[in-house]
Amino acid sequence: MSQNNMLAMILAGGRGSRLLDLTNKVAKPAVSFGGKYRIIDFPLSNCANSGIDVVGVLTQYESVLLNSYVAAGRRWGLDSKDSGVFVLPPREKADEGFNVYRGTADAISQNIDFIDNYNPDYLLILSGDHIYKMDYDAMLDYHKEQKADLTVAVRPVPWKEASRFGIMFADESGRITEFQEKPKEPKSNLASMGIYIFTWKSLRKVLLADMKNPDSSHDFGNDVIPEFMAQNKKLVAYKFEGYWKDVGTIDSLWEANMDLLGRRSELKLDDPAWKIYTDDVSALPQYVGPNAVVDRAYITQGGVVLGEVHHSVLFTGAYIGEGAVVTDSVLMPGAKVEAGARVTRALVANDVTVGSGAVVGSADSDAITLVAKRVKGEE
Amino acid sequence: MAKAFGIITAASNRYDIEGLQEYRPVSAFSFAGRYRLVDFPISNMSNSGIDRIQVYISGNPRSLVEHLGTGRNYNINSKRGKLQLLFHDEANINRLYNTDIAAFMDSFNIIERTREDYVIITSSNMIYRQDFSELLDQHIKSEADVSLLYHRVDNAREAYRGCSCLILNRQKGVQSIDMNMCNADTRNIFMDTYVLKKSLFVDLIRKAAKTSSMYHLSRAVAMAVDELDIRGIQHKGYFAAVTDLKSYFDANLEMIDYEKAKSLFDAKWPFYTRTTDSCPTQYFDDASVKNALISNGCLIEGTVENCVLGRGVRIGKGAVVKNSVVLAYAQIGSDVKVENQVIDKWARVIHAKELVSDSGKPGYVRRDDTL
Repeated sequence: MSQNNMLAMILAGGRGSRLLDLTNKVAKPAVSFGGKYRIIDFPLSNCANSGIDVVGVLTQYESVLLNSYVAAGRRWGLDSKDSGVFVLPPREKADEGFNVYRGTADAISQNIDFIDNYNPDYLLILSGDHIYKMDYDAMLDYHKEQKADLTVAVRPVPWKEASRFGIMFADESGRITEFQEKPKEPKSNLASMGIYIFTWKSLRKVLLADMKNPDSSHDFGNDVIPEFMAQNKKLVAYKFEGYWKDVGTIDSLWEANMDLLGRRSELKLDDPAWKIYTDDVSALPQYVGPNAVVDRAYITQGGVVLGEVHHSVLFTGAYIGEGAVVTDSVLMPGAKVEAGARVTRALVANDVTVGSGAVVGSADSDAITLVAKRVKGEE
Repeated sequence: MAKAFGIITAASNRYDIEGLQEYRPVSAFSFAGRYRLVDFPISNMSNSGIDRIQVYISGNPRSLVEHLGTGRNYNINSKRGKLQLLFHDEANINRLYNTDIAAFMDSFNIIERTREDYVIITSSNMIYRQDFSELLDQHIKSEADVSLLYHRVDNAREAYRGCSCLILNRQKGVQSIDMNMCNADTRNIFMDTYVLKKSLFVDLIRKAAKTSSMYHLSRAVAMAVDELDIRGIQHKGYFAAVTDLKSYFDANLEMIDYEKAKSLFDAKWPFYTRTTDSCPTQYFDDASVKNALISNGCLIEGTVENCVLGRGVRIGKGAVVKNSVVLAYAQIGSDVKVENQVIDKWARVIHAKELVSDSGKPGYVRRDDTL
């Protein structure tokens, strides 16, 4: 708490069911991205790099792996004294029994005791689903400068997509004058990124009331923000221009990985001043064999390429056998493409093997083929 | 296990390695792209259940100290275990006096205070995988006083210069420890690895220090062959000794033979190192890469063949890099041709258009140099 008196809470409870079989056994924030990372590494590393010491991670769906993963705060350097990553699944409380989190706001309400322990001035609410780099400390400066009760990070989206988002309408000073949750006729194209800085005192009061409100769905977008508007609190929009991606579907997850193949990827994963930290694995560097062909690829440690790889991303320990050809595809950690197989426009899930000679995906298909089960090869 | 504690000697006081050693001790030399030599003995010990490990450091300690930190990367129990960094003051201008015995004597009290009955001593320039708990069991069962690990090689004429070799009788008793004079093909190369009781170790170093200021531990052990039961234990599997620039170059390039690499690296016996959190490596359209071991964080636009690349290396468009060991953050500029080189960290080869040496005598580009 010493650095900027802001505590962060990451909402990581969702399943991400549009990721299909990828989230059968892990929650969406634990899904792998970008060769060596998991989605939740991005908000956690952003916190660490923004000088935030204490991060609560609110988990619910299939949280075993996620809990053990985020609990080791030292991966992100969040392990100094008075610092830490705290896993906060729903828990039984003395006065009210056991409740699952009923909504995003309820997840925070049920942890008011945890937050009060640190007595922060500001609370940062994040979601564990997005890929982006952002300096939350700069956003806090803006929040203070504006003397706001709530600062919402927003980014411009194409007008035709605006009705899928929470849309903010702000005046010239940045003050939000209107908020529309998934509007049919959007008044602006500034979409909320689900990143909020609240002045904790203001939020605390609203949450306590919201908990008792039987008509509330206990959601930030549906209930808390409209309540802030109704109470005439000061809401301001903080414009973010960098790379940001919701990787909620197989296609968007594939696409975000493909974005890394660009000459100067906007995400700048190689920026030494803003590294994304992740689990350290003990594997050899990547190995490229004597007959390999590698052009346009993003490959991480432990990968083995004996065959061909074109325009693809290989995660930790991915393997491409002799004569196999992988094109426009993503091989998740431990995925194996055996000799002679062809993988095109596909996403091969963790530890899945495509047998020798097998063919998956096609250059002509619109959708990306998810390979979540072993594909038998030639005997 | 924990019946033994571990010692990793500095190697710097026995071997002189052109170029690289000016910047860091041998223990901190980069190997297979993302490791440093000291990672191998420490991981061997840690994986064998040895959780008290002394690393002796002589010479410029900065990179090694930074790398080892508190030792928590090595999976050593942070409460029961300990990774101690012991500095040996190289006050002596004459290198002959900077022996491993002198280093042990500097830390004599620390050695005496250890609680374990046995000690396993190895050197960071010897690269191999070994379960030390098996080695200790074998040593105890044999009732020998000292066991020495060796590797039988048949190319001692052209390699292993500067190494010691064991002369054994039929019962694997050690008759003498000689220098490898490169005058025979088949030799039992001594891996500078010892197993013995701590009490005997303490006696040996005390006696050696009294006898001669120039004695090394191997000499002290060799002098005792008549009084003590000293035996060789043969090591199987991958082994390399880094004793000069050529052997360093060869050992690294050996790792691009995938089968050979697998004989050292095994998922069940991980070698630990310090992560730098570098991002994956990016290959561009014009990249052509064959037979290479490549670390994370590289940007590759040119041709790379038979190479080991460290982290964050940049290979420019049209560059052709063959049979070379390129250390972290080095840069090979556009259209530059590089062959048979060891290119040290942060070096930039951009103006020189051709840097070609003979594979028998690899070239060396100094750290931070711009050519």
